[in-house]
Amino acid sequence: MKIKRILIANRGEIAVRIIKTAHKMNIETVAVRSAVEPNAMFLSQADVVYDNTEDTSEIPVFLNIEKLIEIAVKTKSDAVHPGYGFLAENAYFAQKCIDNKIVFIGPSPDAIYKMGNKTVARKIAQAAGIPMAMGSEGNISDEEEAVSIAEKIGYPVIIKAASGGGGRGMRIVRKPEEMEKMFIIASKEAEKAFNDPSVFIEKYIENPKHIEFQILGDTKGNIIHLGERECSIQRKHQKLLEEAPSGALSEKLRKTMGRIAVQIASAVNYYSAGTVEFLLDSDKNFYFMEMNTRIQVEHPVTEIVTGIDLIEQQIRIAMGEALKYRQEDIKLKGWAIECRINAEDVQAGFAPDPGKIEKLHLPSDSWVRIDTGVQAGSAIVPSYDSMIAKLIVKGKDRKDALKNCKLALDKVWIKGTKTTLPFFRMLVRNPKFIDGDFTTAFIEKDLEKNYNSSEYEEMLAAWLATKLFIEENFTDKSINDDNEKGKEMSPWLLNKRINQF
Amino acid sequence: MPNSKPGIKKLYALSSENKRFCFPQPLKHSIRIGKREYEVKLKSDDKYGTYILWKNRKYPVEVVSSRQNRYEILFNDISYTFTVETPFSMQRKKVINAARGKTEKETLKAPMPGKIIDVLVREGSNVLRGEPLVILEAMKMQNEIQSPVNGQIIKVLAKPNSNVMKDDILVEIKVE
Repeated sequence: MKIKRILIANRGEIAVRIIKTAHKMNIETVAVRSAVEPNAMFLSQADVVYDNTEDTSEIPVFLNIEKLIEIAVKTKSDAVHPGYGFLAENAYFAQKCIDNKIVFIGPSPDAIYKMGNKTVARKIAQAAGIPMAMGSEGNISDEEEAVSIAEKIGYPVIIKAASGGGGRGMRIVRKPEEMEKMFIIASKEAEKAFNDPSVFIEKYIENPKHIEFQILGDTKGNIIHLGERECSIQRKHQKLLEEAPSGALSEKLRKTMGRIAVQIASAVNYYSAGTVEFLLDSDKNFYFMEMNTRIQVEHPVTEIVTGIDLIEQQIRIAMGEALKYRQEDIKLKGWAIECRINAEDVQAGFAPDPGKIEKLHLPSDSWVRIDTGVQAGSAIVPSYDSMIAKLIVKGKDRKDALKNCKLALDKVWIKGTKTTLPFFRMLVRNPKFIDGDFTTAFIEKDLEKNYNSSEYEEMLAAWLATKLFIEENFTDKSINDDNEKGKEMSPWLLNKRINQF
Repeated sequence: MPNSKPGIKKLYALSSENKRFCFPQPLKHSIRIGKREYEVKLKSDDKYGTYILWKNRKYPVEVVSSRQNRYEILFNDISYTFTVETPFSMQRKKVINAARGKTEKETLKAPMPGKIIDVLVREGSNVLRGEPLVILEAMKMQNEIQSPVNGQIIKVLAKPNSNVMKDDILVEIKVE
């Protein structure tokens, strides 16, 4: 069955990314214009734009199942691509699409449900004999039960949301005294984020690496893996930098983990692209964490080292095609690193810093790939995530990729919001990072500061402050209106004034 | 342009970490490193916005805020805060600081607009540096706002389920 027109139930860079592959395959795309960002870049690339700006509901359209189905029907879309986030892992949405004879570009509703519910996923993995951290049998009902289970498996433990993902609803507990507070926080957070307050407990693996395997399966029962991604550089349990492959895996370990990843996917008759996440401890023991039943933000690093377009594979599988790759066809070549350039204030603990992107220049070298959904003039709005662009660099090996990454980072020029650039510029010069000696605790434990600044840079900033002081205090009053002095004003206004001198 | 004041021969820019940078008055458009003077140019154009050109490299700059003699400068995506002092105001500041006791109050402000999910302390609570005080949700993340100091909470202004703007004061802490 051929797909002719895809409704993209998403926004931002992933919408742009899906459109790109759809066009390559001669498939039309439909994008949805919302009132929050009526001029978003992805809209200009779709063949059809559905105007939903009159919908003033507080819930984003990308979370509104009924509305999206209605749009798909109205625009005669024969398929829906959910991207990541929003409804990408919502089994009900996938089922609704099928019920309306619209192809859902993703796995079966059954696989989404089973892997999406972490306690169900744990049971399936356990039955399949997959190595896992010790934990509660199912959900836990109150802090007393939490304390008694934690006593059994030993502290530290981690409380996780049963319907969780994206790092929300997780709390580490090191002492019984902390349990009550953390249980309540985790449960509240889970309810707010996932409409489900249930949580479960697992033994907390100290200082692990986060290693995940990319899976591809078709509807004929073929499942393969496309190697691993190293995603240990995280803050608030959310990834900031990913690489493929991982320097921590020997060829033998890659084979073993890959085989187990395929085994987990097989247990739910998985098809489409998916990701099996593991924790790898310092003794190279690995534990199944969860399976994400969608395309991942960090999918480009796998695309670079395998040469396979994952969105294309998702679409082909959704059309009922058999995989044309067998496991032995998959050869990893070179090294890829992805930096997530987000609108965040590194100096304020990675707090989001929404705003308008005033200037944007991104490198265009042959060893750089940029996935972005913004351009100069776009706004990073508080209603969505803080992503500005993904900077993906390749090299023949890790050393080469790091060298290219350093060069590329210095070529990025963004004005209008603070960004994660100072963090990455520091990271690629950090000896432990360069040596591959890092775990998920790296940002919290191994870094004194999240950014680096040279003495000269600070001196130049001091020079500018001094220059402004002179201009505001020692010059002609006719230029320097006293009424303005001391008030907060827009940097852009100040800049205009600088230029007067 | 009379960009100088007679009688003041130098100015100091003091960083928030108390680093002191001294510049001659009138201000030179160059900075000496070792024996060499390097030219500093402040420029602006449509393509790049405002930037400083130094040693053949462009660095993006922004003046984030200016209040009296206090400047927050964004230089190469990192922000720095300086107070600029004349030799006279430096001296006066030293005298005042010596006279004043050491009781200090720290105000914790919202780093971004968002919604208060939870307040984890009350007035009178003793807190340690790094302890989470308030949970603020913004941009799909629950952010723990941590205490910057060891001290005692003297005032809690943040209310659960309320929306806050950037820089709204959340709690006040007496530094110990």
